[in-house]
Amino acid sequence: MALSGIQIYKMLPQTNCKDCGFPTCLAFAMKLAAKQVELSSCPHVAEDAKAQLSEASEPPVRLVSLKANGHEVKAGNEVVMFRHEKTFYNKPGLFLRVKDSQPAGEIQAAIAEADGYCVNYVGRDLTLDGFAVEAVSGDAAVFAAAIAAVRQASHRPLILISTDPAMIAAGLRAVDGENPLIYGANTGNWQAMADLAKQHHASLAVIAESLDELADLTEKVKEAGVKDIVLDPAARNLSRSLALNTQIRRLALKKNFRPLGYPLISFPGEGGDPAQESVMAVHAITKYAGFIVLDHFAAETAYPLLVLRENIYTDPQKPIQVQPDVYEINTPGPDDPVLVTTNFSITYFSVANEIEGSGIPAWLVVTDAEGMSVLTAWAAGKFDAERIAKTIKSFNIADKVNRKRIVIPGHVAVLSGELEEELPDWEIRVGPREAIDLPSFIKQVL
Amino acid sequence: MAEHIITFDNDTPPVTAQTGTLLSEVIQGAAMTLNQPCGGQGRCGRCAVRVTGGTVRSRSTLRLSAEDVAAGYVLACQAVVESDAAISIPPQEKIERLLTTDLVSAEVEVPAGYDPRKAQNVRRVTLTLPPPTMDDQTDDWNRLLTALRQQADFGTVQASLEQIQGLGGVLREGDWQVTATLDAERWDCPGCPARLIDLKPGHTASEMPLWGIAVDIGTTTVTLWLVDLLTGKVMAQVAEYNGQIARGEDVISRVIYAGKNNGAAELRDLVLTTINTLLDTACKRVQAQPADVVKVVISGNSVMMHLLLNIRADSIRLSPFVTAINDIPTLAGREVGLNTHPAATVDCLPGVASYVGADITAGVLSSGLIDTEAVTLFIDMGTNGETVLGNRDWLVTCACSAGPAFEGGGVLDGMRATKGAIEEVWINGTTFEPTFRVIGGVKPRGLCGSALIALLAEMSLTGVMDKGGHINTHRDHPRIRTGEHGPEYVVAWANETAHNRDIVITNVDIDNLIRAKAAIYAGFSVLAERVGVPLETAEQVLIGGSFGKYINVEKAVEIGLLPDMPWENFHFLGNTSVRGAYLALLDREARARIQASAARMTYIELSADNTFYDAFTSALFLPHTDLSRFPSVQAAIVS
Amino acid sequence: MAVEIPKDSWAGSVRVVTLGATPADGGTRSHTIMIGGQNTLPFMHFEKPTPHRPVIAVEIKDRRPEDWSGLLLDIWGDAANDPAAWAKQAEVAGADMLVLALTLTAADGNPTTPSMAVEAVKAVLAASKLPLIVLGPGQADADNELLVPVAEATKGERLALGLCEDKNYRTIVAAAMANDHCVVARTPMDVNLAKQLNILIHDMGLPLDRIVMDPTTGALGYGIEYGYSVMERLRLAALQGDAMTQLPMMVTPGFEAWKTKESKFGQDVPGTWGNWEERAINWETLTAMTLVESGADVVVLRHPESVRRVHQAITDLMTVPETV
Repeated sequence: MALSGIQIYKMLPQTNCKDCGFPTCLAFAMKLAAKQVELSSCPHVAEDAKAQLSEASEPPVRLVSLKANGHEVKAGNEVVMFRHEKTFYNKPGLFLRVKDSQPAGEIQAAIAEADGYCVNYVGRDLTLDGFAVEAVSGDAAVFAAAIAAVRQASHRPLILISTDPAMIAAGLRAVDGENPLIYGANTGNWQAMADLAKQHHASLAVIAESLDELADLTEKVKEAGVKDIVLDPAARNLSRSLALNTQIRRLALKKNFRPLGYPLISFPGEGGDPAQESVMAVHAITKYAGFIVLDHFAAETAYPLLVLRENIYTDPQKPIQVQPDVYEINTPGPDDPVLVTTNFSITYFSVANEIEGSGIPAWLVVTDAEGMSVLTAWAAGKFDAERIAKTIKSFNIADKVNRKRIVIPGHVAVLSGELEEELPDWEIRVGPREAIDLPSFIKQVL
Repeated sequence: MAEHIITFDNDTPPVTAQTGTLLSEVIQGAAMTLNQPCGGQGRCGRCAVRVTGGTVRSRSTLRLSAEDVAAGYVLACQAVVESDAAISIPPQEKIERLLTTDLVSAEVEVPAGYDPRKAQNVRRVTLTLPPPTMDDQTDDWNRLLTALRQQADFGTVQASLEQIQGLGGVLREGDWQVTATLDAERWDCPGCPARLIDLKPGHTASEMPLWGIAVDIGTTTVTLWLVDLLTGKVMAQVAEYNGQIARGEDVISRVIYAGKNNGAAELRDLVLTTINTLLDTACKRVQAQPADVVKVVISGNSVMMHLLLNIRADSIRLSPFVTAINDIPTLAGREVGLNTHPAATVDCLPGVASYVGADITAGVLSSGLIDTEAVTLFIDMGTNGETVLGNRDWLVTCACSAGPAFEGGGVLDGMRATKGAIEEVWINGTTFEPTFRVIGGVKPRGLCGSALIALLAEMSLTGVMDKGGHINTHRDHPRIRTGEHGPEYVVAWANETAHNRDIVITNVDIDNLIRAKAAIYAGFSVLAERVGVPLETAEQVLIGGSFGKYINVEKAVEIGLLPDMPWENFHFLGNTSVRGAYLALLDREARARIQASAARMTYIELSADNTFYDAFTSALFLPHTDLSRFPSVQAAIVS
Repeated sequence: MAVEIPKDSWAGSVRVVTLGATPADGGTRSHTIMIGGQNTLPFMHFEKPTPHRPVIAVEIKDRRPEDWSGLLLDIWGDAANDPAAWAKQAEVAGADMLVLALTLTAADGNPTTPSMAVEAVKAVLAASKLPLIVLGPGQADADNELLVPVAEATKGERLALGLCEDKNYRTIVAAAMANDHCVVARTPMDVNLAKQLNILIHDMGLPLDRIVMDPTTGALGYGIEYGYSVMERLRLAALQGDAMTQLPMMVTPGFEAWKTKESKFGQDVPGTWGNWEERAINWETLTAMTLVESGADVVVLRHPESVRRVHQAITDLMTVPETV
């Protein structure tokens, strides 16, 4: 149970000694409550309080990490059901599956294409996270060869798929020194799988059709010495998967139910209809999957899924920013006005919506104000003449328009003088304070 | 249907009325006038009458206290006749006092047991020096020191060159009789020698006041109290808009302005002019001279303090938001630029951080928050919207930019709460006609904070505007019109006003006011949430602010400025900052206590995440988007 | 080990809004569509049944939308030239209902007149018996001028009229009240603003079961996470008993997705974006499905293939699993 700042404060010495680096004990307590500081920063806390406080900070969903050749994929450590409550922390790893029945050349080509895939989204390079290799041949040597083929084309972490311990043992030998995920353990093979996982420092997925069985299995596997466990509740359609993933997350978070306090794995391609794989993947991304294994790779599907994953795992507590850029609204031409605002999303949307709704074409220049609104950014020195001038210059606005004239928000009318100095050949106009007045301003004043 | 006889306690003859007749109709039928500014909707409480005999059935006793009800008071517009009854109609002033929700700020009382000889560090002593002789060629300065030691117990004393230059003249002019004023214990230097402030020829009569001033430099309003340090009495209270307003309405604009060219010097001059003018005005009221003022205590937010002293303030605005100095050493009147005695002791009270200045630490002292066991919410309804939550064990505080709207700033016809300001307004729910009360009973010139709060509440309740604050221009009424600033409501027609112009409230004003109230409400609600103390658990709410002499708590709750709590939990303290300065002016211990509270205060940065923004948009509605936070308002809307 | 399934039990539920009126109720629709009614989070069948499935509305225009992506104009072909033909095509494509979005200007560049708007709406009503939502061009004055005569000319059809916004809702709400229609209340991605507009509309006297809210969502890659969370929060508030959020939600993933570069353009885009048509359909479908997961009751789409995929996914989501 999370403690409030005041509750923690009452367990602290209350001397305001500042030894922790914060001005008061309450300030420190609130940082602790927000999990932004370690309890050990306070040298004076009593032992019993220490015990109480550290128990409250144990993560309800265990962090599981797959590693290979310097790559790492993490899942777990989640603390909320809904992203707005805090944030979702560890983006689900996206894996592509190949089978050892495919010819080595085909495997290598498929892996190479997917491994090299890198798409830029708002300045970030997005890629897949790893690969899953499934043993369907029934031949350990073939499986090992397939893994070797994968390793020819990619260094990313692997998931080894088979319920036969012999296959997995061969696979693990092929990736010695890595920390892959074994998929997986069931009621029949768990003992052997657990031994393998322990021996090779691998994580282990457990598979069961019901939550009762799943919880039994994780307890057994844990007893056998495996800590890094991943859950597959074996649901392959949307409705059932949604229900089970939700129940597992709830049990972990709200009931602190340790047997199901592990990340989930999802196989969207096993639903039958290939066109629905991406739809199933949407559900896996939004509803709690920690690892997602796809059966098809195509840029036109990977790109939207990678973007969705970025979006859902954006920290909602941070101001939402739009990309600094020149936004063309209602297809402007060289004679249309140039408007300037900040990159706080609400600010951007309210300005863009007003202009868009009015039908007036305009160039909307969004400056990087670290996601703050006009007034806040100005107050914090993030929206000043220098920054605006830099933006105007860096986006080469002068090349897009005939008339060098910009409109700044009315709230920062004071900047007009300085802007004239920074942009000597530009005309600076002060627009209205509120976005709603922009259309009439443009019509009547410009 | 039964007829009843209703009698009155004045000359009006008895009348008859049927069961179920409204008492207000009976009274009007008896040809008496009854004030019903709200149009008989039971909202304004102005039609309270006392039933001294018989019974009436009261539909609503909203706005009457339990004692009033026990004493037989009812609202005439909400009470129906059920039997013969005797009615007593109180004079209008009495009704005004009856209104339980109008909280008038407490009068200034001299702290009990104030003894200047114990509490005061500035002392005035009369001395008689033995004239020098051929046998006693002691120098003038040592002669004075000896007298100070023997007659007034001052061990060592410091003086300035200027004072020594004038020393010989003063001693001889007074024929070796002089009056000295000394600062015995500089607050920041307890072991240091006493400092000579003033030396005058002759003996000043002991009953002559010894003048000090307490000053609160608000972003919008500067307040100055002139105090006789011997009695502790406040002899004059004056206030005026801060002259810096012309250079920016909020602290951020001022800091930015100060950073440019000659901005800092200009801002310093502007606020000094405001203070010196106020000093002049206050002194004239009591026939004193500014130069007679020997002690000054100044309170104000950190930016105001920096700007007064021309200390660089840029770092306050920029991350990580640090001040140049929180706790300023003792200064002298001349170096600060005050027209007081040049050597007057000037004490600038200590602040905590960039956005929690001396105004708040002083407020924490003067509001009593520092001493109370009860979890208390202290709201300063100033431009910076500071809030403190806590008790004598812990204190958290935050600030949010509320703007000057409640002090009348940024509102077209806004003004300070002085003579000629409309301070209370009711709107009739049927006719949409307003009734108002003006400070000083003269023709109005504008609207002060309390009237603005009332207008928001009344316009919303009567449907002149919607809960989002948009004036309903679909309603056909001469007072609802579109002016050059967009939709507006006419509070007073030109022929009723002092300046022969209409007094209006515009949609822009309303937006500013709603933003201000939303910022304040969001500030304290997020503060409470952040420390994990539900707002409802606050046992009392102390309100400070310089927007008027009183606040109508009911209306402030109706617009969602104050939390919905029992009215008796609220205490309106007026300007708590200047009160704190006043306490520090009287008692050197008070300052030490302010410092101690400053060390305990935890500042919460509201902009650290989205919760403040969310709480703010949620509060941008009347009373609030989440009506369940305002159950009493919800009940009023339903009825 | 017997795991006890944690079930949420909520105090509140979403109101049911009925769109369209059959001849029995004074309209001409072949059937009505009911949306809302949930008292669980989306598709939590193990708690309570989901009373009404989310519906797909297909957006059509009163005249050919030249600013739409070429992919859309190609797929609808000539039908896009005529709202009646388009309505029929949309019905064939699997629409549960229709959205007719009026254009600001007529083909000759002059403003669309009230009579043109009424004519288009009547043509659509005659061509398809599906329930209908009519949206104005999105400018306050034009919306009011066109929607009032439309509301009057279709009295009793129980259309949904939109979009009501906080600065312009009175006229549309009054027209809906007088002519037995519903309204769509749109607010820009904020829980509080959504709730505030519902209160303002309800304060005018329109019953809550005639209001559908559009909280605005943004497209995949363009702020969808914000819209997604706003919808989750609105739905949670509704279930917790907040009456002013207990309204079904209509969202416009078609509009949102098809204004992005990713959907609109096939040339001068990075090679890593892949095949244009499949990417565009993915963009619309994924945007729509993300919103369905967060509680959308009506999704307004543009491409027939997106309609097919979203329809199938909703059917899957509505299937009650046997063992959980």
